[in-house]
Amino acid sequence: MSDQVRIIRFKVADRVFHVFIMVTFLIQSVTGMGRLLYHTNWGKAVVGIFGGYEGASTVHNTVGILMIIGFVIHIIYILAKVEWKSWRKSLLDADSLVPRPADAVQFGQQIRWFFGLGPRPSFDRWTYWEKFDYWAVFWGMPLLGISGVLLMYPLAASRIMPGWVLNVMVLFHRAEALLAMLYIFIIHFTIGHLRRGMFPMNEGMFAGSVELEKEKEEKALWIARLQEEGRLEQAKVLGPAPWYRTAYFIFGYTALAVGLYLLLIIIVYRNYIEWH
Amino acid sequence: MDPRRLLRKAVLRIILGLLGAVFLWPPAASAQEEVTSSIRRYKDREVSTGYYEEHEVKPRRTRPFVQQKEVVRRYSAPVTQYRPRAAVEPSVRSRMEDSHEGIQFYELRRCEECHVEEAKHSHTVKANLTCRQCHGGEPIAGINYYYSPMNPIRRNAYVCAKCHEGASVSFATFLVHEPKAGDPATRKTFASLYYSNWFMYLLIVGTLAFFGLHTLIWVGKETYHAVSEKMKTKPEAEPPPAEKPEPKEPENE
Repeated sequence: MSDQVRIIRFKVADRVFHVFIMVTFLIQSVTGMGRLLYHTNWGKAVVGIFGGYEGASTVHNTVGILMIIGFVIHIIYILAKVEWKSWRKSLLDADSLVPRPADAVQFGQQIRWFFGLGPRPSFDRWTYWEKFDYWAVFWGMPLLGISGVLLMYPLAASRIMPGWVLNVMVLFHRAEALLAMLYIFIIHFTIGHLRRGMFPMNEGMFAGSVELEKEKEEKALWIARLQEEGRLEQAKVLGPAPWYRTAYFIFGYTALAVGLYLLLIIIVYRNYIEWH
Repeated sequence: MDPRRLLRKAVLRIILGLLGAVFLWPPAASAQEEVTSSIRRYKDREVSTGYYEEHEVKPRRTRPFVQQKEVVRRYSAPVTQYRPRAAVEPSVRSRMEDSHEGIQFYELRRCEECHVEEAKHSHTVKANLTCRQCHGGEPIAGINYYYSPMNPIRRNAYVCAKCHEGASVSFATFLVHEPKAGDPATRKTFASLYYSNWFMYLLIVGTLAFFGLHTLIWVGKETYHAVSEKMKTKPEAEPPPAEKPEPKEPENE
């Protein structure tokens, strides 16, 4: 691992944001599922960890507000990162997460490759599924955040809208939360852990750097671009320290275990989940 | 200028102005609301648990339930047939002073024996409330009975505000016993919940089906490639490639 040439992919701030959303998302998942399944023994036991239904609600609400603050900070952060003088280039070049026409083309190529109709596409720094993962948060966070805040303050909310809108908000909050959990625990985890070359774990998001040889296969356009622009040498970094690697393996696998456990619970208790 | 002409001109203008105003003036109503919006009514004072007169509030306007035509007909049409069970119909009972009047062995029964679905909701399951804490003691008045505390015109102040301090009329339109969002009947009674449910359902199924298949094919394809590459490289790495057909023989035997 340490012999491999590694190049930087995520800055410290990006990794901090990821760890932040991991921790808060899992806390919200556990407290949310516990309350959703409160009429079952499992729900009562989980809620009991947080000191009963009220306690779990307090944790859920507090962490929810933290998440919203984190999301706002992230938006300020990315807006500050854009070079507004040359915004067109800054937003639309290959180092940006903004979807480009090339993503649609690569998606088409990938589907063709799935069915043996073409060669495997080579990607740039961010692939279309990585962009989807990123932008999906921008759909889920406002929906969960707005419905959550309205439900947190129902008296104030019913002053600006009819009270029965909260019935609909409960549905939105639960359904969107289930979608987010199922997506992360099934699809995000599979892509991050089970893909070839990723097992046992795609360490990029924790280590911040990725192996150059592996990326040459999948993200050939990115490496080629780095070489062309003469930035490859300066992108090379040292691998993660052993203690740090141990720490993020423990952390990552704990998160994975919690997620898979919740997935199991969703499957087992599927008939007890009422999203409305 | 002649002051008389000036006066006449001014009077004429005032008369013309008043005539014009007749067309622009809002018509006088016998009972006008202070504000017209049903949402913003009493916005600055809504935190109080004040009692509102019926003409001041229009709770039915903010209710999501669309009244079904059948229910209306049942009421407006004169009784042409003898219908002994008419009094049992919920629409009638919801307006009775004692909503359970005439039910046999009522004293021996429990609420949830008949109101099965109504007994399962967040207020009972999560907040541990009993039916009577909101619906009151015997005789339990129908929710639309005029003097019932549950009547939408005062429900907020007399029922909700017992726990939710400062509950407004708008707040009280939250449906505690909400209909099942997936139930076809909900399309008529609570359309926004029904269509929101379908929207979220399709979103979840669509997203998971699309990306689930995408990931499944992807992982399968990559694994297949990995295995086939290993199969290709192995014979070259091993010194005797001629041994390859030999392990098949014991299988055939």
